[in-house]
Amino acid sequence: MLKLLGAVLVVVAGALAGFTRAAQYADRPRNIRGLIAALQRLETEILYGYTPLPEALHRIGQQSKGTLQAFFTAAAEEMSPPLNRTAEEAFKRAVEQHFRSASLKGAEKEIIRQLSCTLGTSDRSNQSTHIALALQQLKQEETVAREDQGKYEKMSKSLGLLLGVLIVILIF
Amino acid sequence: MANDWLFLFPEKVRALLSGLPANLLARLEEVRVREGRPLEINYSGKYHFLCGNGSLTQQPAEAYKPSREDTHRLLDLISNHSLYTMEEELRKGFITIPGGHRIGLSGRTVLSGGGVEHLRDITGFNVRIARELPGIADSVLPYLVERGRQRIMHTLILSPPQHGKTTLLRDLARQISTGSTAGRDGSRPGLKVGIVDERSEIAGSRRGIPAFDVGPRTDILDGCPKAEGMMMMIRSLSPEVLVADEIGRHEDAEAVTEALHAGISVVATAHGKEVAELARRPGLGGLLEHRMFERYVILNRTEAGLTFRILDGQKRGLLLITPDDHQGGERRA
Repeated sequence: MLKLLGAVLVVVAGALAGFTRAAQYADRPRNIRGLIAALQRLETEILYGYTPLPEALHRIGQQSKGTLQAFFTAAAEEMSPPLNRTAEEAFKRAVEQHFRSASLKGAEKEIIRQLSCTLGTSDRSNQSTHIALALQQLKQEETVAREDQGKYEKMSKSLGLLLGVLIVILIF
Repeated sequence: MANDWLFLFPEKVRALLSGLPANLLARLEEVRVREGRPLEINYSGKYHFLCGNGSLTQQPAEAYKPSREDTHRLLDLISNHSLYTMEEELRKGFITIPGGHRIGLSGRTVLSGGGVEHLRDITGFNVRIARELPGIADSVLPYLVERGRQRIMHTLILSPPQHGKTTLLRDLARQISTGSTAGRDGSRPGLKVGIVDERSEIAGSRRGIPAFDVGPRTDILDGCPKAEGMMMMIRSLSPEVLVADEIGRHEDAEAVTEALHAGISVVATAHGKEVAELARRPGLGGLLEHRMFERYVILNRTEAGLTFRILDGQKRGLLLITPDDHQGGERRA
């Protein structure tokens, strides 16, 4: 009886691990898409709204969902008084806090880091160029992430379950 | 609220400045930050360099030299991390921050069609600390009021830069707008005052709300070119007194003439030391020639304090007020 319970636990654990992995594959393209939408809004705020960066980020945070909301709100807070950090520092901290839980990887981190160095430090047309570049890079990452999702999402689910079953078979 | 401008500076510079004695901080007029060169402060008309340990020196070699990091942070803070919102300001070469403090910028200009389009590589900052000195106009104002008619006379305030023109103008606007109940000439009702504040210096407006007390009956056109602003005021806001800072161009003179003929009193300032000197300037010469102004106030600041010289429309001296006289006594010039 106890053996059976153990076996069930192992299989369930394996399946859960597989599902978590699969969820990460599904999350990444979704969050990249969210990031793209957010940057497009940022571009509008800068180009047409002349909105100061902290305020623009705060607004975008409110319009975003889930982790991205936390990410942009955190960046906006880092830049507002009393902290008053530069855009570069603020984004660096926000990335460290929130990107892992959003299943975002090194490539996106690097894109955001590069963008943050120039955000707010030049005129509007220059800002627009930099945001457009970041958008383009993010779109590439999105394609890659979607391919990964197609390839590995289902596989991870089955693999997790099968691994659990394998362990059970080996033990018995 | 006092010394709110300190929060504008990056940590290192802020620490140095807040380490200065309080009485010195209260008199501080300018802080000049130049990348890689000595940090300079000006107070009471004298300059000093600031050392890394907080002491003052006259030797540039001993002084603290702001790093690239310092100037970057300073620019980031004064632009609220958003330089792109400051394009117009960069074209003019200065930024006005909350509190009415003005920061002049120097760097490399980017030209477009022969005009200055933008400022980049900004490495020089001149932070001019604005101060309210309520009461500074006390001794001057009675001589600008026309007896009996409760009208303010057309007045031109003259002084070289940094002698307190704007501060005097601000207090004049406040007192004219407030009126008085117990003046030397009995009570004087408040008048409608219109301020054309091209550089946001007189009222220090932020989002349209003045940071300084400019009186209850005062309207402010913030950031508006003077000539255009004066005409807008005349047409739509019906001021009894128009206040403008640093007039000098042809358009300004035209607008002033327009206001004078519309029966509106004008109180304006201009750079200069003497009235005669002013008459030679292309923009203002005509105004002086036609004796448009009824009063001239010439400001001069020495270490002892402010000296006012008041002249009438024919440029005859009426009065000299020296620092010792500010308490009430005056003597004829």
